[in-house]
Amino acid sequence: MSFPATASAVLAVGDAVPFRSPALDWHALAPEAVLVATAVVVLLVDLFTAERNKWLASTLSGLGLLGALVPVITLAVDGNTRSLFGGAYVVDDFALVMKALFLVAGYVTILLSTDYIGEGDYWEGEYYLLVVSSVLGMTLMASARDLITIFVALELLSIPAYLLAGWRKRELTGNEAGMKYYLMGVFASAVMLYGMSLVYGGTGTTVLAGIGRQVAGSFGATPVAALGIVFVLVGFGFKVSAVPFHNWAPDTYEGAPTPITAFLSVASKAAGFVAILQLIFVAFYGRDEVYGPMMWVLAALTMTVGNLIALRQTNVVRLFAYSSVAQAGFILAPLAVAGDSPAVADDAIRAVVSYLLIYTAMNLGAFAVILAVSRKTRSGELDSWGGLFEYAPGLTVLMTAFLFALAGIPPLGGWFAKFQVFKAVLGAGGASAYILAVVVAVNSVIALYYYANLARLMWFQSVPDGDRSPVRVPAAINLALALCVAFTVATGFFPGLVGHFGDAATDLVAVALRR
Amino acid sequence: MLLNQFLILSAVLFAIGVYGVIARRNGVAVLMSIELILNAVNINLVAFSAMTGTLAGQVFALFVIAIAAAEVGVGLAIVLVIYRNRRSIDLDEVDLMRG
Amino acid sequence: MTAAALASEGGASAGGFPLLTSCVVLPAVGALATALVSRRRPESSRLVATIFAVATAALTVAVLVAFESGEAGFQMVERATWIRDLDVSWHLGVDGISVFLVVLTGVLFPLAMLGAPPHHDDKPFHAWLLLLEAGCIGVFLALDLFLFFVMFEIVLVPMYFLISGWGYANRRYAAMKFFLYTAFGSAFMLVGLVATAVLHARGTGGDLTFDLVTIASDQGAIAPVTARWLFLAFAIAFAIKVPLFPVHTWLPDAHTEAPTAGSVILAGVMLKLGTYGFLRFGLYLFPEASAYFAPLLVTLGVIGILYGAVVATMQKDLKRLVAYSSVAHLGFIALGTFSLTTQGLQGSVLQMVNHGISTGALFLLVGMIYERRHTRQIAELRGLQKAAPVMAGVFTVVMLSSIGLPGLNGFVGEFLILLGSFLTRRWWAVVGAIGVILASLYLLWAYQRVFHGEPDEANAGFAEMRVREGLVMAPLVALIVFLGVYPKPVLDRIQPSVEALVAHVEDHSDYTEPPVATEGQRARSAAPAEEGGD
Repeated sequence: MSFPATASAVLAVGDAVPFRSPALDWHALAPEAVLVATAVVVLLVDLFTAERNKWLASTLSGLGLLGALVPVITLAVDGNTRSLFGGAYVVDDFALVMKALFLVAGYVTILLSTDYIGEGDYWEGEYYLLVVSSVLGMTLMASARDLITIFVALELLSIPAYLLAGWRKRELTGNEAGMKYYLMGVFASAVMLYGMSLVYGGTGTTVLAGIGRQVAGSFGATPVAALGIVFVLVGFGFKVSAVPFHNWAPDTYEGAPTPITAFLSVASKAAGFVAILQLIFVAFYGRDEVYGPMMWVLAALTMTVGNLIALRQTNVVRLFAYSSVAQAGFILAPLAVAGDSPAVADDAIRAVVSYLLIYTAMNLGAFAVILAVSRKTRSGELDSWGGLFEYAPGLTVLMTAFLFALAGIPPLGGWFAKFQVFKAVLGAGGASAYILAVVVAVNSVIALYYYANLARLMWFQSVPDGDRSPVRVPAAINLALALCVAFTVATGFFPGLVGHFGDAATDLVAVALRR
Repeated sequence: MLLNQFLILSAVLFAIGVYGVIARRNGVAVLMSIELILNAVNINLVAFSAMTGTLAGQVFALFVIAIAAAEVGVGLAIVLVIYRNRRSIDLDEVDLMRG
Repeated sequence: MTAAALASEGGASAGGFPLLTSCVVLPAVGALATALVSRRRPESSRLVATIFAVATAALTVAVLVAFESGEAGFQMVERATWIRDLDVSWHLGVDGISVFLVVLTGVLFPLAMLGAPPHHDDKPFHAWLLLLEAGCIGVFLALDLFLFFVMFEIVLVPMYFLISGWGYANRRYAAMKFFLYTAFGSAFMLVGLVATAVLHARGTGGDLTFDLVTIASDQGAIAPVTARWLFLAFAIAFAIKVPLFPVHTWLPDAHTEAPTAGSVILAGVMLKLGTYGFLRFGLYLFPEASAYFAPLLVTLGVIGILYGAVVATMQKDLKRLVAYSSVAHLGFIALGTFSLTTQGLQGSVLQMVNHGISTGALFLLVGMIYERRHTRQIAELRGLQKAAPVMAGVFTVVMLSSIGLPGLNGFVGEFLILLGSFLTRRWWAVVGAIGVILASLYLLWAYQRVFHGEPDEANAGFAEMRVREGLVMAPLVALIVFLGVYPKPVLDRIQPSVEALVAHVEDHSDYTEPPVATEGQRARSAAPAEEGGD
């Protein structure tokens, strides 16, 4: 191997071509540009305002996230797939659907945070700056079709999240949440990077589409390809808290500020899934015998272990931590069969995207209720939820709706998500798919137990401390609740709404199979 | 084979790093182990870049170095906060929540 | 009541007015309306709920009036696209099998509501009850696999809340057990029904559809061996709901711990969701697999008959005794269904209605006794006949109907079931007939202990039936007598659909109905042999 000669040749080429600034499609980059501007404005406003005007930071960042939705919508109306930076950054319907999801989830997070952060003695300006940066990372992730871009997006969304998780820095549990999340996250991304370096070495490119061609060809058959694929996917397994890489999740969720817990369990998880989808459907699609069984095992383990541990939780946030681990298992299930055929691949991506959209609404809604209730009870213990119906009937009805939606009981949104998963898995056929479907089915029932149990507590248990004073729900949380419940109920009755987005997202697969 | 020597070096570094993350209980030592893994990645990337004659690997390595610096900055901040609160950076002690 | 007026118009022009949709939607709207009534006015929430329940009953009766007898197919079909991509539609229709179950549901709910009002939290109680009604009627009317599943699941949640909110001492355990058993079954059904739709689309090469009629008519699309597995997936859900013997254990707990209205609906309507499911999604959807598994299910049915009867005999709690009698009765219905004969099926459809009426009435009576004495222990009740002769009389009629005394409704159903099953499963029918004897044993014995003798101190002050209670029981007793004396109008409407269903099974499997069953004269010659065993 003439290694030094090639190296100098490369450098020589680099010297010879004068740098020319590439033509930028600013429309395609507009959502991210708005977010960057928002982040800068929030930072400056925080620097130059008095303590009593700190609420500006929250309002501005909320407006900024909504403002970033505008170019997302105009891009969707425009409808063209835009490819920038030599295919490293692609704005297609899949990317737009996910960007919209991240922006709305970020907005709801800010709604949830407003009173929580304003009333606690925490730093407001930096908090919102970090939330906006993390959302920026997520929107980048939705468009990233290159290993480097994926890595940068992942770090951009994760690093602020590490800080946010440890935000309650004077509490030992807050420190622990930040530390565990940080260590696990950094370790995972290091392992992922090692995998990426192997994939790059084998293919000589970092663009996913190019990798896809090579993986489908001779490189795919080499053992190093399998090693690279597994390492990369393990890295994202941490991000989506798939068992056995889930250990950080419950402690981080419990120790982090509750709005951040909601954010991590929804947006950050969705970002992990976006990366997994892009990697599997664009880069690794040709090697389904590597990722298929891996996803099968991860999905089955994740939902089963998550559910079983959730059964014996006594803290409501930990309960939701494990429930969100289990839900990740449901979302992983279609990926186990995605390589079966192009039709199944379409179904699988449709299932994952619809599930993510519905899950975001259900879970954020549930966390909004948790936040509202804990404002009064000041406790995360399940027992403190007893008799909620007596003093907060509205919140009880909403929480019941979110719980049964999460359990997949029609006519609330969750059933459609589960149903799409079943359709994808069963559509593939074969013994392993059927077994996986049964595992999913049995797990839905186990999940029902703890969801129904919480519902029972709220409706029929007596109030533990006899304090029946009503819960005062701030306007911001009310708005968040209204958004979430509207989406959860609407998708239950008119699943076509989500189905439409799911269909739009299949253009990711279309790209993968066109090569 | 020159390339193999780079890959072997990087694999050894990676293994040492993973071992360190799992076995060391001192917060700073764990951070250093993670740096080892990242450096293994960088060696890989640069070696592959030279082998395949593409620049992407070197660019990737630069990104890794830059972002790793940011990451470690955040990591040290978290370790520092823990040290302030409990006068120890033994990670085994940071285990209040269970279940 | 304007809704009733609307209903009668709808009956006249069934094509124009969406009568069936109204039957599903009206109680759901009622649930919402009840929920919006102020919490401080429990009596007005009760009034609103009752008005909606009665209006729904009127609508279901309008369906019966508009129903054309002598037709086998689905009538008053309404269809609207729901989820276009998956071809899931809001597809409703009635045939001879479902029409009486719809009416039964419509009639039983207001009676349960009026006959057993809750002691606290009227508003949520009635709201849940109306939501339950919407789900139950939806299950009976749905002609789309997916719509059926949705309705089947909706039913779960209100019942869970009814049991755990207004039940007796051990209600939490019972509610959770009920919930998990049924949800476990539904999970399998969901897998089964998605697989059915996917495999059907693959088999025909067409688009995915969840339409029951389309899938059921393309029988060749799914390989028989696969269809058997799919049938099993559905059968698990239905067997739990019915409940058939080994998966019946949730039933005694749920029935005993549920509030009276809950027990009435549970026994009267919800158990029928399972037996109805076997007819619609077993025999109709998977005829070959149904014929293949018929021996197994008939055996489970017969075991249920004997087991339910024997365990009922040993019960010390009156409500639990009635609950176990349901296990026995539902075993009969399973026996009739999987005899795959016209008579057997006719009998089991009729018996579903009969069981709803008589067991519903029994639970109401047990509820009334409990209201007065605050105990259900048979040993603590004595000589109630002296104190309350009218109630004793009503109890006697209902009990005899449950036993299957000729002249009352239970006899007609059980007789047809035994007749039909004797043609294809002689020995099973003979063993099943023993169950009838056992039924008279445990019910009469219980009656004797509770009502006969001299009332002791605690029972002497037992209050006679009140007018309100009498008014609730009157329609049920009237139906018991009417169906016993003159079941012909009902059987005439059931028969064409059932014959078509048996023919459907014959067409798609190697099963052929024994000729004797289709010829009236020879059928009668088989009857004496039957009564010998009775």
